[in-house]
Amino acid sequence: MANMGKAPTYRMKSRMIIVLICMIAIGFGIVLLNLFRLQVIDGDKWQSYALSQQLRSSKISANRGTIYDANGKILAKSASVWSVIVAPAEVKTQTQENAIADGLSKILEIDGAKILKKLQNKESYHEIIKTKIEQPVADEIYAFIAENDVPGIHLVEDTKRYYPYGNFAANVLGFTDYDNKGAYGLESYYEKVLGGVPGRVVSLKNAAGTTMPLQYEQTYDAQDGNSIVLTIDETVQHFLEKNLETAVVEHKVKNRAVGIVMDPNTGAILAMATKPDFDPNNPREILDPQTKEELEKLNTAENKEAYADALQQAQYESWKNKAISDPYEPGSVFKIVTASAGLESGVVSAETPFYCPGYIEVAGNVIDCWNRNKGGHGQINFEQGVMGSCNPTFITVGQWLGVDLFSDYFENFGLTKATGVDLPGEVGSIYHQRKDMGISELSSSAFGQTFKVTPLQMITAASAAVNGGKLMQPYVVKQILDPNGNVVSTTEPVVKRQVISEEISKEVSLMLEKVVSEGSGKNAYIPGYRVGGKTGTSEKLDQKQNGEVRSRISSFLGFAPADNPQVVVLVVLDEPDLANAYGSVVAAPVVGSILNDVLPYLGIEPQYTAEELEKVDISTPYVIDYLIHDAEASIRIAGLKSRVIGNGTTVIRQTPGAGEPTPRDGTVILYTEEETQQDLIVVPDVIGMAGQEANRTIVNAGLNISISGTGIEGSGNVAVNQTPAAGTQVELGTVVTVEFKNTESVG
Amino acid sequence: MEQVKKKQKQAKPKKGSIDLTFLILVLLLLVIGLVMLFSASYAYAYYNAPGHNSFYYISRQLVFAILGVGVMGFVSMVDYHLLHKFAIPIFLGSLVLLVAVLIIPSREDAKRWIDLGFATFQPSEIAKFAIILLFAHLISLNYEKMKLPRYGVWPFLGVMGIVSFLMLLEPHLSGTVLIVTIGIVMMFVGGTDMKWFMLGGALLIGGIIVLVLIPGVVEYAAGRVQYWIDPFSDPRGKGYQTIQSLYAIGSGGLMGVGIGNSRQKHLYLPEPQNDFIFAVVCEELGFIGAVIIILIFVLLIWRGYVIAMRCRDRFGAMLAIGLTTQVGVQTILNIAVVSNTIPNTGISLPFFSSGGTALVMLLAQMGVILSVSRQTALEKE
Repeated sequence: MANMGKAPTYRMKSRMIIVLICMIAIGFGIVLLNLFRLQVIDGDKWQSYALSQQLRSSKISANRGTIYDANGKILAKSASVWSVIVAPAEVKTQTQENAIADGLSKILEIDGAKILKKLQNKESYHEIIKTKIEQPVADEIYAFIAENDVPGIHLVEDTKRYYPYGNFAANVLGFTDYDNKGAYGLESYYEKVLGGVPGRVVSLKNAAGTTMPLQYEQTYDAQDGNSIVLTIDETVQHFLEKNLETAVVEHKVKNRAVGIVMDPNTGAILAMATKPDFDPNNPREILDPQTKEELEKLNTAENKEAYADALQQAQYESWKNKAISDPYEPGSVFKIVTASAGLESGVVSAETPFYCPGYIEVAGNVIDCWNRNKGGHGQINFEQGVMGSCNPTFITVGQWLGVDLFSDYFENFGLTKATGVDLPGEVGSIYHQRKDMGISELSSSAFGQTFKVTPLQMITAASAAVNGGKLMQPYVVKQILDPNGNVVSTTEPVVKRQVISEEISKEVSLMLEKVVSEGSGKNAYIPGYRVGGKTGTSEKLDQKQNGEVRSRISSFLGFAPADNPQVVVLVVLDEPDLANAYGSVVAAPVVGSILNDVLPYLGIEPQYTAEELEKVDISTPYVIDYLIHDAEASIRIAGLKSRVIGNGTTVIRQTPGAGEPTPRDGTVILYTEEETQQDLIVVPDVIGMAGQEANRTIVNAGLNISISGTGIEGSGNVAVNQTPAAGTQVELGTVVTVEFKNTESVG
Repeated sequence: MEQVKKKQKQAKPKKGSIDLTFLILVLLLLVIGLVMLFSASYAYAYYNAPGHNSFYYISRQLVFAILGVGVMGFVSMVDYHLLHKFAIPIFLGSLVLLVAVLIIPSREDAKRWIDLGFATFQPSEIAKFAIILLFAHLISLNYEKMKLPRYGVWPFLGVMGIVSFLMLLEPHLSGTVLIVTIGIVMMFVGGTDMKWFMLGGALLIGGIIVLVLIPGVVEYAAGRVQYWIDPFSDPRGKGYQTIQSLYAIGSGGLMGVGIGNSRQKHLYLPEPQNDFIFAVVCEELGFIGAVIIILIFVLLIWRGYVIAMRCRDRFGAMLAIGLTTQVGVQTILNIAVVSNTIPNTGISLPFFSSGGTALVMLLAQMGVILSVSRQTALEKE
């Protein structure tokens, strides 16, 4: 114990100092240096690593803007849908797993085993079970979660695009992809306008993935997309599509049909359609039954790749907007441009004489006129050449213009450049450059062959020819609205340039009116309207085999009223049934039918000439309970005839009924006795009969005839349709409607 | 002997006052430690404690802290020379406990804790104090003969060997390293001849080679070394804790994210209230805060050594050296682990980490140093 009281020696103290210094300098020194490196030098790096696991950034989708038609009808709209996500990491017990798999499989109608499998991925917080479920299903899931108190099911809100009209204006509207981004058509072209700017919520999460009970959360609001209002009018579009669809079926159009309805004075597109098309609600499904059938044949196990390729090809094909993406040889419709150029430049006038022997020789090659087998047009003037769509006449005019002048007009009519319409995927034209244009190229170009333009370029050029000479900028969107419906911007019509003078434009319009009223475009005639137009039939030169025409494009461009054009329609049928594939026969009636629908809708009232008035049906007067002679008088005053059946003194029944249309000079049957046996008459078959013959047949059978289409006068008008059909038993005096068509094939 | 007794008799009535600087540093660390424990454990307790009670850890720690301060005050007033008598019994008792923990551990994976019912404690904590006490006792008795291996080497190596053996059975590598380090420091200060340390250094290198050959030891340590060098080799497994700690420390930057604002404590960092509490401190208080806290630890250690140097007897001096060194080495090892300076091993931070019995024992030991400081003060007069 002696040492206990002794103080530490000098050696002890010096060794203490050594230890102290070592501990502080080495021990604390090293850890401090390390902390300095971690926190000050590399702090940013570690912090960003840490933040990447701590921050949860969830997207707030911006509401996509709506697409309205010209009158505010909704063509495309977004609505909320939900994605069902499970977070297996939050599901702790087997019982819970089973409950979730069971419940979700029932509600969502998917295989429970698949859900169970996803739930095994225990480190995951994000396993997608199903996307794009709608409100009622989402509500069911919320209820299921609440009832069973199960963890790990999350619903993430998203939006889905709805196109209420289905396959309607599909190639124009386009569609959105899985991210709600515009993938095609207007949806794609106006993506920046419609899409808006998505917002984000950045919040801190803990390691369990749930939000921290801390305060930190930052929201960046989503900016909703603007809406667009189209120049396209749902009703006009409907008329266009209806008629195109009918034409596609009727003429077995192989390569789809396209139609455009345009306001020639503004360039506003009132309707634009390609048929068959697709349903933007489900853009990957093939709608065309024939294509679908062909695809199904391919869809076998050994042909997987070929099928996939073919399917994709068919999808692309169905999405393609032929109006802007598929240049074609316009054929005779282009003669509008050649005629305008010839008249404007003064190389030709309406009276300039031409002689058409049925062909013309150019640089040693013979080019036929379409009616060579009828001996040609003979001695005609330029106006008659236009009406008859005479090739030699136009070839001559083209040659008179010469390469430079022709090319100038070609360019001025906007045919060398894409129009710049506000739609994606527009292509330009393929044409002979000035320096490469010889007499042959010039001659063929003059009547619309050996070059290609898009249907939109063609209708825009034709509009310029008839609207007073102004080349307009075509457009589809007339207004952009903010999410509250306020107007953000309005598209003003843009005149690109004056191509021809107003006087020449007038002259061209009236010449084209004669094409319809007297010339090759009779099938587009509508009583009461001054319709102008031009037929077009082009041979697909690039598909010609052994000098034989394999396929044609039939088209017609029509406009009305000819003295003040308000609407222009172009219909192009790509590869109709070869048998009758002339624009005058297949395309003109389609345009006529479209104009017949569209003109009254646009508020353009029919103005009948005296001659036309004669053919207009009369509303049958009400004569029931009238004394016989009073009834007869009423009917006579209305401009009809009457025939009394029975011995009564008053009329008890009439055919046609009161208010029903009866053709002028038609007969109203007046029954005077209850017991009178009604004479039933079998409707005769008039299809294929010429006009007057059909008329006689119906009237002689004791029926009334109502005439539609090209009418019964003039040569070449043949009945093509009748209602009621032949063989139907009808009452005496019933009106039979017969449609006539001009069957002369004009190129 | 009589002279000594006289001196003691003279000393007793003139009992000096405790070292105020040391006391203030202890209390300062205790307060900062409690505040940081509250912050670090708040979120962990919110997620894990019964009833989402955010105050679960801090309320317990606070009770033990108050108790510990009381114990410290009491111990500081007791004459530490009484401990001479307890040196051997306490050491033997600690051996019993080290054996007992192998038989009746409260957890099977690492047999370190004994459950008392109301609290758990680690026998290694007792062993640490027992060795410090025993070594101080031996050195003060045999100081003149410390150069002789029979007095200055073998008894110490024997004691450390037995204790290390028992602790490695738990296994408790970090505790063993800590105890051996303290022991070597005490031997060094206590006067063991320098050549033994050189020999020891050489043997250590040889020993490591031998250790590698013993099966089991390699497996136990190898994993930690691998994930020390590249924690990202298993970011979701063995490297996870280290990575999360580095994220926390790095996120703190120079100024820290502010007290209470740690994000890493929200379930990312395992045991934020325990061994890894300093990572939260670094995240919330930044490099500046970490430096200030380390500085307080350094001051405390410096003060402990000053007390030792000024102590009028070698027993007190060696006690102060041993106990102070314990705090110092443990702090260094803890921060080194948290900052991935050394491989990950379970070692707590004095005054900060959650753990009631350990805190009370720590404060009691601080009481011993304060008691030593009384004698020092007397000497100075």
